[in-house]
Amino acid sequence: MRELYTMRFTALRLIRAWVVLLLLFVVPFVLVTLLSIIMGDAEEGGLLLRNEINVMMVLAFQLFGGSVAMNYIHQDFFTERRYRIQSLPMNTTLYGFTTMLIGTLYSIILGALLAGYTVLVWNVDWGNIAWSIFIIALMATLSSIVCLIFTFSVKKFNIAERLSEVYGVGAILIAGLIFPMPDHAVINWVNEYINPIMLAYEAIDAYRNANVGDAWMNAGLLGGLIVITFVIMLLLGRRRMP
Amino acid sequence: MTIFTFALKRIFKDKTNLIFLTLFPVAAIFLPEPEYWPLLPYGYHYFGVLILFVGIRLTGLLVEDRQKGVVKRLAAAPVTHFQYLFQNLLAFSVIVIAQCIFMIAGGVIYDHELHEPLLLLILFIVFSFTAIALSLAWNSLYRNKETSFLVFMCVIIIMALLGGIMMPIEMLPDVLEQLAVIFPTYWLAEGMEWVVMGEDTADFLLINGVLLLYTLLFLIIGSIRRMG
Repeated sequence: MRELYTMRFTALRLIRAWVVLLLLFVVPFVLVTLLSIIMGDAEEGGLLLRNEINVMMVLAFQLFGGSVAMNYIHQDFFTERRYRIQSLPMNTTLYGFTTMLIGTLYSIILGALLAGYTVLVWNVDWGNIAWSIFIIALMATLSSIVCLIFTFSVKKFNIAERLSEVYGVGAILIAGLIFPMPDHAVINWVNEYINPIMLAYEAIDAYRNANVGDAWMNAGLLGGLIVITFVIMLLLGRRRMP
Repeated sequence: MTIFTFALKRIFKDKTNLIFLTLFPVAAIFLPEPEYWPLLPYGYHYFGVLILFVGIRLTGLLVEDRQKGVVKRLAAAPVTHFQYLFQNLLAFSVIVIAQCIFMIAGGVIYDHELHEPLLLLILFIVFSFTAIALSLAWNSLYRNKETSFLVFMCVIIIMALLGGIMMPIEMLPDVLEQLAVIFPTYWLAEGMEWVVMGEDTADFLLINGVLLLYTLLFLIIGSIRRMG
């Protein structure tokens, strides 16, 4: 199982990538801290704004977690390094999967650390923290799969990177986090059934309000999206991967 | 003006630049008007953030030149470092001025309530110069274009939050409110508020003056020749 042994080195590569840590951990950490200070104990409709904003912030950064898997798969399979990887005595497809797994795990760990920080320092109510981490894991997995779909579906990696940003920023915009979106049937439908950040938030919020049925429904929708996108990723990957 | 023409060609050859320079401003024009805050339509209020992104993308050309050794080869060419920098900055300025004019003209045609479109245009142009100078200074710290862009993206988020673009400055705690004056985005937010409220003219001059001072400061820092 040489492929599994490579996970250690992929993890080492990740630890050394300080820009990734800055983007996926330091920035949300600073934002969560600042927003918690700014919001204080302000309430809206009997709900603490701090709870809502901090949960959204942690989830929003999970949308960009897929960039890790995307970059590593590109570096290892779509640059000159691919010839070195192909000449190694191991199953390259499995190696690709382990890279994706490590990228996703890294994103989950950072998300869990942020969630822990918000609970311990800012007393944010996540409902059930284990359930929240499960939802974060679903979001991180979806993000990695979507980013890999972009990597496999366009020829220029720059365009794939921009598309991954469109996916993240687009989801945040449609969720109305930057400014309120118009009350339009299509936008409402997207937020209710497709937008990952809204599905994840609703799943956490429903569990927090002891509405377990709704929580599972939203988690199920996220799971459904993961299955659909995973199949697309496999089909595209089989065509493009060396 | 060979470098100037060449800089323009290089910028428009990049498809991502084209999206930043055309598609995003067009989308911004059509964004709705808020109920209470911000005072300007959303697209115009957040235009400053877009300007910062445009600034870092445009000045990224200079990092690329350093990465590829173009700056070293320039030393042997019959072109001074000043000419190289000036003509590149002129090309960037022409592009951002055109973008600001397009944005304001679009708003006027779309019948947005911009209060004082001409003064808003001046404010945006001055802020664009600050953004270019800031990006130039920022890029001079890096050898890699991608790293510079990614870290600057974080800085933009923090500057927008603490400078009063993401939320009213009054919502910040006293310490952060006082600290906000160091961010150029604070002066942009103040300028936009002035355009809507229209109080003392001296205040508008002060806001633009501060932004121009920032521009000068960042230009000095960013102009120091680095061969890489």
